[in-house]
Amino acid sequence: MQAAVLRGTQNGYDLVLKQSASLDQILVDLKTLLENLKIDPQAQEATKVSLDVLTEDRILTAEERQQIEQLVGQYPRFEIHKIAANVMTIADAVQMKERENVHLLSKVIRNGQEVDMTGDVLFLGTIHEGGKLQTTGNIFSMGNVAGILQAGYPDDESKLVMGNLKTAQQIRIAEQFDIIDPDDLEASAQTVAYVNDLHVLSYGNLNQLKKINPKLYNQIGGI
Amino acid sequence: MGKAIVITSGKGGVGKTTTSANIGTALALMGKRVCLMDLDIGLRNLDVVLGLDNRIIYDIVDVASGRAKLPQALVKDKRFDDKLYLLPAAQNTDKTALEPDQVKTIVDELKPDYDYVLIDCPAGIEQGFMNAVAGADAAIVVTTPEISAVRDADRVVGLLEQHPLTEAPRLLINRIRRNMMQDGSMMDIDEITHHLGIELLGIIFDDDAVITTSNQGEPIVMQTDNPASQGYRNVARRLEGETVPLMKLEDQEEPGFWHRVSNWFHRG
Repeated sequence: MQAAVLRGTQNGYDLVLKQSASLDQILVDLKTLLENLKIDPQAQEATKVSLDVLTEDRILTAEERQQIEQLVGQYPRFEIHKIAANVMTIADAVQMKERENVHLLSKVIRNGQEVDMTGDVLFLGTIHEGGKLQTTGNIFSMGNVAGILQAGYPDDESKLVMGNLKTAQQIRIAEQFDIIDPDDLEASAQTVAYVNDLHVLSYGNLNQLKKINPKLYNQIGGI
Repeated sequence: MGKAIVITSGKGGVGKTTTSANIGTALALMGKRVCLMDLDIGLRNLDVVLGLDNRIIYDIVDVASGRAKLPQALVKDKRFDDKLYLLPAAQNTDKTALEPDQVKTIVDELKPDYDYVLIDCPAGIEQGFMNAVAGADAAIVVTTPEISAVRDADRVVGLLEQHPLTEAPRLLINRIRRNMMQDGSMMDIDEITHHLGIELLGIIFDDDAVITTSNQGEPIVMQTDNPASQGYRNVARRLEGETVPLMKLEDQEEPGFWHRVSNWFHRG
């Protein structure tokens, strides 16, 4: 059986690298395949062929990808459009799932401690003065916050921080931050901190949320 | 097998050494065998507070580096009939002279012979702190009713939670001034305990005699009628598992005879 198979599809050509074959075998077969196509007079007339390389249940390392790319690069008629596999690493999968989940966090973050999260966080614990909660997503806080909340880390200004923020020391969203003056904020659990169009961190109320960030509603299945 | 308890605070000057000396002495007075370990290397004080500074021959760094055997370095307090010993810190080097493993070895060597090994932790959260915590089974976090001390205690509790000891840390609030706490100008005991979220082991009232006695090299616990002494004795009893109620903030003095007589006239 051939270790490298060229398939025509509606969208172009798929180059399938069989998972059952070794990479060395693939490289040999691929070379033969490309050589054959090179001398095929019929193929000569055709224009440049863009290949979707499918590796089945195998994930190529950077080095292996380079070997494939290098080999195909020797034939000017072919170029690689993308390399795709049916599988992903567990680490990537966990990261993807983490990004989309709302995480429940109910611990005490003490002075000097930093908790780093991925995705949205529903916070039920306590942050003491000098503690910091940092996440890539939104923060929905129902706990007591006397420390620092950082949403959208490192650079996502579309994220929000919600909850009673009056007692916090600082609110940070992406690169914007605000040092909380307790006199300016009301003690409401419905405060929403967001970054406005002028890239300034400002505050609103939960009932203005749809106006502040309509995307959040798309995410949770609203209109 | 004894228990090793580290006495720590993060902030300096809140009374770790005084607390170590007094709890140690109180436990010795209750008939327990106690070894006090001073880990404040380079700035040792525990020996001075106990009045044992002139008897030091070898210190903990000598033991750790093998220059002396552990029993040679231990200083016996003759007042307590073979109950209280001190392992002094070195004075001619600094905290980096010890590694956590070395401290743990020494503590493990001491534990079978004593009921309590009390480790006096230096201020800060650097190597000295790590050394002190390494061999401990339990921790007493000392704080005073000041915001800076409470913040540092919070930090230390966080560090202790990251490297959990066998027992959860317990809180000791030192230097309470009754009048200031009663009129609300000092942080409240409940407020501090609730904020830190750990069990309260005891409260110690501020008293001038604590300073005078420690200047004389005699722990305050030796004076039976002093309120600070009473606080430390209560802490020692709680460590032994007794249930002792917290001391009251209000002055508990019974009104004297003439006071009561004058009260009759006031009522009329």
